Amino acid sequence: MRIASVSFRYGRRDPWVLSDADLVLGPGDVAEVVGPNGTGKSTLLRLAAGLLRPVRGRVEGRPRVVGYAPERFPADQPFTVAAYLRHMAAVRRVTQDTIGHWSERLGMDHLLGRRLPDLSKGSAHKVGLAQALLAEPGLLVLDEPFAGLDAATRAELPRIIGEIGARGGIVVVSDHQGDLRDFPGLRRFEVRDRAVRELEPVERAGEEPLTVLEVAVPASRAAELAGRLRAEGCTVRSTARVAGEAAE
Amino acid sequence: MTSVIALARFRVAGYVASHRALQPLLALLALLAVLYATAVPTGQEIAATADSAAMLVPVLAWAARGLLDTEPDEQRSVALSAMGTRELVSGLLAAFASLLVLTAIAEAALLGRLTTAPTTGVLLTGVWLHLLSAAAGLALGALTSRPILRSPAVSTMALIFGYLLMLMLSLTGARWLTVPVMGWMRDAHHGVLLANAPLLTAQSVLWPAIGLAAYTWLRRTRP
Repeated sequence: MRIASVSFRYGRRDPWVLSDADLVLGPGDVAEVVGPNGTGKSTLLRLAAGLLRPVRGRVEGRPRVVGYAPERFPADQPFTVAAYLRHMAAVRRVTQDTIGHWSERLGMDHLLGRRLPDLSKGSAHKVGLAQALLAEPGLLVLDEPFAGLDAATRAELPRIIGEIGARGGIVVVSDHQGDLRDFPGLRRFEVRDRAVRELEPVERAGEEPLTVLEVAVPASRAAELAGRLRAEGCTVRSTARVAGEAAE
Repeated sequence: MTSVIALARFRVAGYVASHRALQPLLALLALLAVLYATAVPTGQEIAATADSAAMLVPVLAWAARGLLDTEPDEQRSVALSAMGTRELVSGLLAAFASLLVLTAIAEAALLGRLTTAPTTGVLLTGVWLHLLSAAAGLALGALTSRPILRSPAVSTMALIFGYLLMLMLSLTGARWLTVPVMGWMRDAHHGVLLANAPLLTAQSVLWPAIGLAAYTWLRRTRP
């Protein structure tokens, strides 16, 4: 997929948000878009997802199935979570079983009967993620997906993103908090001064590129080991796994 | 069931569950109460049908706009990401379906107030004129919906003045320059409505078609 010399402004009298921006993403790419607030990250994401038309330039080779999770899920809708997702599954033409699968993975089974306007911000955000994931997207666009998520879902989301990348999907994520920083193979792009620039992998870690080690450790010793590794300057993310999985 | 129909169902469900569907319904019921305060005398059935169709246009436009505007903007983005530009077709379909319900209520009220039992001709004229009215309402409602006109005040004014313009232009006898709503009433009261039917249909469909084409064009850059 290629964003080719795209320029965009919201109105004829508005300033350009992006000017001659280029971005090429291949199958399986996971791209993180960073940049200061209000520089056009969301605009770039919307152009990638096909929600905005470039004023100049073109977006070529966009995968057919696009999943988009907005930064703020529009919770002001008169549906329960289950009814909303049922409608979205019908729009996406996927079976209703998919809803169960994603609500379980995102830890929102208990929310299914709740009404959308009654949800907390984080819970509503999960509904936004779930609808974007329903249809096995070839392009998944997530605008600040980690904001407001609980720890379990925060840990699960990179795994979900990894799976989409593994089957050849493209994932574009804007992220402030750096939750994907230690994601293997992550490509990072910065939006600044109306242009998109790819950041070198080394820019995030000083001199040397990073390697990800997976270490299984008894739960009782996890905190201590994590502390020791952090003291040595490593980034540590700890995720709970079932015993069987850890033994594999 | 295709995606377009699934999304239309979602939008109609959202519209009905919100309070927005009630506003044009109440306006319609008030209008019908005034129109049919007295029974429609024998021989006046076609004229009463034309009056109903012409006066319903702003109510139907309001309803169509209400349906299209019920959904939050970001939800429309979600729909757009799922379906691309077919999202637009689905919105118009949902709006038209809601207008058919309102016109059916109006038609039922009319039939209920006839002094003599309606002939097939009266029934068919009712269906035909109310479909023309729904087409005009759909186009006017779509063109004043939030993606096109951001400000609710501007949009309401545009809707009202759009209808007034329709009335005034058709009052001057100009039939190709607007939806000839006054033409419907005049022809019906003079008993020449059915003789003019093919031409009148073409004149009445022309501007809604142009309006919907304009809506489609404008939406390309107004997601």
